[in-house]
Amino acid sequence: MVDYDPTLIGKVFEITEPVLVTPEMIREFCEALGETNPLYTDAEAAKNGPYGGIIAPPSFAVTFRNGRHFFQNIPRFGRAGFDAGKDVEFVAPLRPGDKVTLNSSVKEIYEKTGRSGTMVFVVVRSTLKNQRGEVVAHIDHRFMHRT
Amino acid sequence: MSDIVAIDRFENVQIGAAIGPEPMFLSKEQSRRYARACGLDAPRFTDDEGARKEGLPGMIIPGNMSLGLLTKLVTDWIGQSGARIVRIGTTYRVLVQPDHTISLQGFVTHTYPEERACEIDLWIENEDGERMVTGTATVQFPK
Repeated sequence: MVDYDPTLIGKVFEITEPVLVTPEMIREFCEALGETNPLYTDAEAAKNGPYGGIIAPPSFAVTFRNGRHFFQNIPRFGRAGFDAGKDVEFVAPLRPGDKVTLNSSVKEIYEKTGRSGTMVFVVVRSTLKNQRGEVVAHIDHRFMHRT
Repeated sequence: MSDIVAIDRFENVQIGAAIGPEPMFLSKEQSRRYARACGLDAPRFTDDEGARKEGLPGMIIPGNMSLGLLTKLVTDWIGQSGARIVRIGTTYRVLVQPDHTISLQGFVTHTYPEERACEIDLWIENEDGERMVTGTATVQFPK
């Protein structure tokens, strides 16, 4: 069984400074993914759409980075961890002008044994909020460490 | 432009219906552009030499880019139906390297008529048919 301090679970260890979402950030993100959906790329068309203006593509939510103390606060097991996957719940759209903060906590730590050996997974939950304090998304980052 | 055939309403969603395949050549420049757009400056996402110094076979694309491409596959399928993607989960099984043709694919696994929602299995395949990234998504249609 993996050994860790149980008081780590659920404790918010970092809240980032707000990041302003600009139209340029959304445009560059869309270009990088080859996104052409008018909801995200055409201000005129989006004005008459369901959101009344441009919104960011849903996966833009994962581009907000945790702060510089993020990795200092994640428990480490064995060799350096790497990104094993994500679970994202999209709660509300992100729009130009939004100011986004992330707060992050360790959600879960578990062990798995596969053909390549034993791995420890650390799941960090980041909650994104906008300037009104509304939740925009929950992101569970799964970091995998080989022991 | 995407060649995905968009769904128009929940009543036309069928279990087993395929989404894609959407083949695409993933260039190094596109990978770099994604990394730049997201402020990812780690060498493994931008140049082969830097990636090799990190013990990798060469440049890899960010995991978030795989998630972004699969999310785009779903939003292309949703089209103008008014539906929205409420959740996506991805597992990065194999490193995805640029300069290869990948295929984005999915199919509907469950429908929930009372909630007007459906569940989709998703994956990114390489030229050998190996599933490098797998995932699931939930889509909610207007009530």
